[in-house]
Amino acid sequence: MRRSFPAALLLIVGLLLLLDLLVANPSLDALTGGIGQVVVVLFAAAALLGAGALAARHARGTLDPDGDRVGSTLVLVGMAVVLIPGLLAPEGASSAPVRWVVGALLVPIGASLLALTAVFVIPAARRGIRLRGHDNGVLLLAAMVTIVLLLPLGGAIGEALASAAGWLLQVPVGGVFAGLLLGLALATAVAAARVLFGLGGADD
Amino acid sequence: MTDRRSPAIRALRRIGPRLAPLTLIAVIVIGVVVGSVGGLRLGAPRSAAAWAFQAALDGAVARGRVLVAFDPDIGTYAEIRPAVRAALAQLAAHGASLSFISFSPEGRALAVAELDRLGRGSVQASHLLDLGFRAGAEAGLIGAVRSAIPDAASGALADGLRADGGGVAAFDMTLVVGGTEIGPRSWVEQVAPRVPQLRALAIVPTVLEPLAAPYARSGQLAALLATTRDAAAYVDLVRGDPTVAGRPATTISDLPPAALPILLGMLLTLGALADAIAARFRRPTDGEEIAA
Repeated sequence: MRRSFPAALLLIVGLLLLLDLLVANPSLDALTGGIGQVVVVLFAAAALLGAGALAARHARGTLDPDGDRVGSTLVLVGMAVVLIPGLLAPEGASSAPVRWVVGALLVPIGASLLALTAVFVIPAARRGIRLRGHDNGVLLLAAMVTIVLLLPLGGAIGEALASAAGWLLQVPVGGVFAGLLLGLALATAVAAARVLFGLGGADD
Repeated sequence: MTDRRSPAIRALRRIGPRLAPLTLIAVIVIGVVVGSVGGLRLGAPRSAAAWAFQAALDGAVARGRVLVAFDPDIGTYAEIRPAVRAALAQLAAHGASLSFISFSPEGRALAVAELDRLGRGSVQASHLLDLGFRAGAEAGLIGAVRSAIPDAASGALADGLRADGGGVAAFDMTLVVGGTEIGPRSWVEQVAPRVPQLRALAIVPTVLEPLAAPYARSGQLAALLATTRDAAAYVDLVRGDPTVAGRPATTISDLPPAALPILLGMLLTLGALADAIAARFRRPTDGEEIAA
């Protein structure tokens, strides 16, 4: 059986982490703690590399006559607006300029972009229903039912809508998602076991 | 095919979709200006989730050291902010200490702003601790189980937590303010098996409700707030709590959400969706573009 170095490494690390959950042993605890630290450093390195690659790509984009120069410039300016105050101020990311950038710019912009989703979804729904009427019609009807159930009404009508919404979330939607979570967990466990024990084609 | 409708109606049908976003904004502005209207209520009536959440944060059970795992998304934080602030207000009013930790960059940025807000209020500095940002997402979360207190943290609260091991187990309770990257799922899957005695409560945006609700129903989360109406009902409960109301440090929200603009926006969206379905059965006119 052909076995690669990453698969062997995965096998060892996986078994160590499993053992650490099952056995109380200080040496094993220290070892898995060290593995965790390596993973954290890898995450941090990946984030730094990603940010660097993004900056380099858009720096090239500002020089490309056929590219989106305005967009690339905006990305670089946005990165600088967050990065420079954070690096220059002694409190770093907790400094007042960074707090201002987050509170006065990032949060309102993020919330506005999310709110605009509804505006863009409606024209998309109109096109979608013309292309695939039945499927998209069911989707739109479900969306309409959900909106009706969440209407902010008081009194008896509001109470009836709220209890219907609660039932919908807990019974059909909740059942589907509970099944989905269980299914995903089982599939992940089976895939992990196949990798750990070198079964099938997932070992290489 | 000839459209036999009048030119005015045809023109309205052409420009209608383009005017819809402006109409939505105008309607929402009118709703904000008009303010509260009788018969409307944002909070769900008799919300069991809101009652359960308030009971879980009650002074009898939620005093002591609370870890606030703050990882909301910037885009959806506006939706859960009133409930988060109400929960922090309730905890602060009962004398609980609040230690903030974040595992996502967006969560950290928002946590800094909330810490600043709480610090400017009358929450005692000795009851507030910034544990900072932990890189590595779920790997960082597992690392925090062993050690959550950074070396730079000082004060009686930090020393007390270090004396009790310095990990997540040193806290009496966790309030998870979740987002798509790190949320209740990560806490239940990664922390609960390692620290089973830790009570965890969660606040998440509506979009994550289906994923978080199974954990609340199974008891792995002590309480969960995950829909706008339940969150609004909880905020109403906290506003009515005499131990919380009126405390300057516990300003629940600067601008409480108003029901009328939300209702108007929802009705407009409903109308647009109904029109989209009706368009399927209408005969196409000259002016209408057939995307297919």
